[in-house]
Amino acid sequence: MNPVAAFFRPNTWRVFQRNFYAWQKYAWSSVAINIVEPFAYFLALGFGLGAYFKVTGYGSLVQFMAPGFLGLTALNTATFDAAWGCFERRVFNGVYESMVTAPVDPLEIAAGEYLWQAFRAALYGSLFLAVIAGFGLVHSYWALLCPLVLALTGIVCAIPALFVSFVVNTQEHLFYYFSFVATPTVMISGIFFPLDKFPHWALAIAWMTPLYHAVIVFRALAMGTVSPQTGLEVLWLVAAIVVLAFLPVRSVRSRLGN
Amino acid sequence: MCATSTVVLARSLTKRYGAIDAVRGVDFSIEAGECFGFLGVNGAGKTTTMKMIYCRIARTSGELLVLGMDTSRDALGIKARLGVVAQENALDPELTVIENLLLYASFFGITGERAYKRAAQLLELLSLGGKEKAQVKELSGGMKRRLVIARALVNDPDILVLDEPTTGLDPQARLLVWEKLTSLREAGLTLLLTTHYMEEAARLCNRVAIIDEGKILAQGTPEQLIAQFAAADVLEIIDPAARLPVDGQLDGLIVRRERYGEVHYLFNHDNRVLLHRMNELGFDPPRHVARRATLEDVFLNMTGRELVE
Repeated sequence: MNPVAAFFRPNTWRVFQRNFYAWQKYAWSSVAINIVEPFAYFLALGFGLGAYFKVTGYGSLVQFMAPGFLGLTALNTATFDAAWGCFERRVFNGVYESMVTAPVDPLEIAAGEYLWQAFRAALYGSLFLAVIAGFGLVHSYWALLCPLVLALTGIVCAIPALFVSFVVNTQEHLFYYFSFVATPTVMISGIFFPLDKFPHWALAIAWMTPLYHAVIVFRALAMGTVSPQTGLEVLWLVAAIVVLAFLPVRSVRSRLGN
Repeated sequence: MCATSTVVLARSLTKRYGAIDAVRGVDFSIEAGECFGFLGVNGAGKTTTMKMIYCRIARTSGELLVLGMDTSRDALGIKARLGVVAQENALDPELTVIENLLLYASFFGITGERAYKRAAQLLELLSLGGKEKAQVKELSGGMKRRLVIARALVNDPDILVLDEPTTGLDPQARLLVWEKLTSLREAGLTLLLTTHYMEEAARLCNRVAIIDEGKILAQGTPEQLIAQFAAADVLEIIDPAARLPVDGQLDGLIVRRERYGEVHYLFNHDNRVLLHRMNELGFDPPRHVARRATLEDVFLNMTGRELVE
């Protein structure tokens, strides 16, 4: 079995289902946590700071930022649960330990977790989309495709986070990933400000991060400026998923396989 | 038991963790319908052997077939037909009792009404009826253990593998688990367990293997092992005045003699005969215990009475 084929196995969906059962019980508080924080940042930066700036082509800073916040929400929600949550499920709660006594392949567990993060990113991101639509910051029906792109963003962010959760031995070490990888990724992904004044080398680094491409797509969907280039950005995300999926294979197998 | 078939076969099986040899070349075979027990102290290699059998860890060398399948090649095929009660319960604390069973059943392709029926039936069987909606953390230690056994039975396994099924349980909870396992054995299920409780092995197992420092020291039925490494009876004597007659004077009645501290263990075929002969010799043991030999004696005779740490 390879990590891409693992997405299409029945037990992968059952791993997803396990998380869904557990999540149902605290869904409301989970929604609140995952929405309130980005919303607070959005209000402060978009309307507070944004009152002092105009962004060429977008009018206000808040208009520029709003679609980008979908990317931020997807990254936050998928990264946190794929790192912190998966660590708990693997180490503290014995969730995976019992799964692998049943005929479940370790790669099915990983794939089930990616799909779960896709769901979370799509759900929380869509709620945020509804919020910015309420503020009149969404201008096209193309935005209805946002959940799909949110799901892809969730998967592509979940893979390295899950990898880290399978490598570290202490939950606190996950903060290295949050601080040294996730947060800088957010800063250079074009969520808060346009990157056209970036030096080439910095832009090259941004281009390497999946979030940069996701944000371009969200902005195009929300503004109705979809072009063939937008499709290529989506392809970039899909390709990143396929390539990244191989990254955790060894550690997942060594932690849970025989 | 009529026609038997081998369900687990190990030859020269080893497991090495870095510089540590956890299992050092063990050979054993387990037949369908029997209850086979690995008996040994903590760190003897019992759990490592079990984990290789239920395909949780890879062997280092040797051969290991479970239900005719090689554990290193057909892990999923083997897991589909095993029931596993690992040392740690690993019950999902975010799910209820019934959800734990339904989720686990789904991994075997058992879903919907069929899964629900099976789960309810197993909860009843393990005396957990009425606990369907309980959270795992509300259950007592004994209930959790029985729930894990119920979970291991959802796929109607060919072998039930239990790693220390009653460690940490209070006496009543242990008796109940023993009763459940006995009825499963009597229903014809093959059981494979590890324990460091001699009483548990003697009560449940048709056959035991004594394992120490990664090696099997002996295997056979409890009766065979007692006959071979102890004797039917044992007389424990505390003899501070050192008046105990030497063996020659007891006409070879003593099969084996062990000593730990000031206690002498005299293994013999019949305590009454031995005591009678001692009286004839004018020795009336002041403090003594006359009892049947147990697996514990076999175990201590083989591995020594001193605590090795």
